[in-house]
Amino acid sequence: MQPESPTADRVTAAVLLLLGGAMCWGGFVMDRLEIRQIHPASIPGLLPIFLGFFLMICAIFLALGTRGKTSSETDDTPKETGNWSDFAFAAVWSCLFAVGMVSRIPFVVASAIYILVFTGWYLWKPSGEDGKRLRMMLLVTLYAVLVAIGISVLFRYGFLVRLP
Amino acid sequence: MEALSQFFAAIVHFTTPLLLFHVAWSTLLGILVGSLPGLTATMGVALLTTLTYTLDKDAAILVLICMYVGAIYGGSRSAILLNIPGTPASAATSLDGFPLAQKGQAGYAMGLATAGSAMGTLVGIVLLVLLAPALAAVALDFGSFEFFWLAVFGIVISGQLTGGVSPLKGYIAGILGLMVAMIGSEGIHAHIRFNLGFSELNGGIALIPAMVGAFGFAEVLSVMWRKKSVLSAKELSEDRILPKLADLWKYKRTIARSGIIGTLVGIIPGVGEDIGAWASYAAAKRSSKERDEFGKGSKEGLTAAETGNSAVVPGALIPALTLAVPGSAPAAVLIAALFIHGVRPGPMIMIEQPDFIYSVAAMLFFATLAITIYGLSLTRIFILVLRIPREFLMPVVFTLCVIGPYALTQRVFDIWVMVGFGLVGFVLRKMNYPMAPLVLGIILGSLLDKSLRRGLTLSNGSLEPFFMRPISAMFVVVIVLSIILSLPAVQKAVARWIDRLMPAGKRTGEDQ
Repeated sequence: MQPESPTADRVTAAVLLLLGGAMCWGGFVMDRLEIRQIHPASIPGLLPIFLGFFLMICAIFLALGTRGKTSSETDDTPKETGNWSDFAFAAVWSCLFAVGMVSRIPFVVASAIYILVFTGWYLWKPSGEDGKRLRMMLLVTLYAVLVAIGISVLFRYGFLVRLP
Repeated sequence: MEALSQFFAAIVHFTTPLLLFHVAWSTLLGILVGSLPGLTATMGVALLTTLTYTLDKDAAILVLICMYVGAIYGGSRSAILLNIPGTPASAATSLDGFPLAQKGQAGYAMGLATAGSAMGTLVGIVLLVLLAPALAAVALDFGSFEFFWLAVFGIVISGQLTGGVSPLKGYIAGILGLMVAMIGSEGIHAHIRFNLGFSELNGGIALIPAMVGAFGFAEVLSVMWRKKSVLSAKELSEDRILPKLADLWKYKRTIARSGIIGTLVGIIPGVGEDIGAWASYAAAKRSSKERDEFGKGSKEGLTAAETGNSAVVPGALIPALTLAVPGSAPAAVLIAALFIHGVRPGPMIMIEQPDFIYSVAAMLFFATLAITIYGLSLTRIFILVLRIPREFLMPVVFTLCVIGPYALTQRVFDIWVMVGFGLVGFVLRKMNYPMAPLVLGIILGSLLDKSLRRGLTLSNGSLEPFFMRPISAMFVVVIVLSIILSLPAVQKAVARWIDRLMPAGKRTGEDQ
């Protein structure tokens, strides 16, 4: 399923319809604060009800817009192409760093490991034969350590941030 | 006259060695950020906001504005040399900048882009000084009813103009932003909404982590997803860099028109620099004597695009300062930064801090001066920056994306928010959902919510003042017309009607 395909739009429309419905319902059943004797027009759930409703309307229009279209149909506009495996590594490794490593190990160590693995992963193959590859990896290690120390020192001592 | 003297007083105030040093480094950093494909002005301003907490108010705002102006200008470098806009604002620049580079005139194209950017910002500064106080005075008459419609207007217009061929996706992005703003304690009764049982969500989703995620992490992912770019083969040719005065004089009308169009586009909430550049480019093409050259290396086209996108910067600050409604995504971050540094943008700004608008104009002036000096003297050095491999740059950017939002509140939760917005932002971008209405929604959600409920309380539940007060009624008409005109069936009917009024033969000259 391509992200710009009618199928993707249909799936999105279904998700948005559910989200809109949930928002609408959440606003409707939200505490109306009668105990505080507030004006009935100022209940906290008012805008969420409207937003949920309008999102559902938009989702219906989105779904209707895909009527009669198939994923195999292509329009004249050139599509940007990319490398999904490069993307997947960047996404997974970055999430692992941000959610799994930061605050569990010292920030300077976590960021050095992150930069080293990130850069090393993409440069391992293009570096060619073993000698060149070793030199490149040494350069990447030095770069990762220096950048990690630089960022950590800047925030810790420059901006007085207690690092995670 | 008073405005002029206040402006000069602000310039004198900022002429200190320390502040000039801030101008120098932050504008240079902005140009570098803008020139690297994948690093946008919004990301630059958002990340730099996290580095300005310890600076005093004047220095912090100055640094952020210099970054903003520098990044928008810097985008022209890669647009001309790589045919890849460094920022979306420079997309129109690449149409004529890259062909000029291929003809061996990369240096001259960059010189012309520098002159265009500088003059566009200057036109915008003049309009900022003239219009902002007047708009602030008008905004003093705004009540809850008008602010409600202003917020709706922002979302609708931003969604429509940034949604491209599908305004619906722009509207959806705007509603999603508004929904994000509904999370946490609401502004009237302090009731906590939609926290899903997480106490960290009681205060809502902070703007900076959301922006850093949507524009920083999502951009890192987009850059790693895209194929590598190749530098133009002739970029290092020894051609002239300083623009000829004759060329600038020849395009004086184009410069003035593009500057005005760019500033006016900037005033429209959440629309941004890319639309300013495209609108200026289209207007220049329509009225040009050399329109056949457009897209093939037209100097006029390049000047129009660069003047247009740079003029949006002062334009976007007009509603940001006077209404607290951002004219562009970087201006949205600037609003958050203003609050952090104790400045309350909005209609009261001319009463609480009457000299602040002139200070901002002076900051823009210094940034313009800096981009002119850097642009004309360091052109060949900037080319080297484009050679930094993305594999080295992107992990550093992401590390800053992680530590930046954390530095503001020292909460690990904000890092998770950044990651969540980054992933969602990437998916939405790939599905052609614009980010500007989403961000605008997060900013305007609170205003919309409070204005609706306050207005209804004041009118005792009656909807009449929402439609019958003069400014409200005007907003309603504009919003309804905008939505109706965005419907494909209506657009086709209007096109048919224009065809009937003006037969094809009469319009060919304009359509070319």
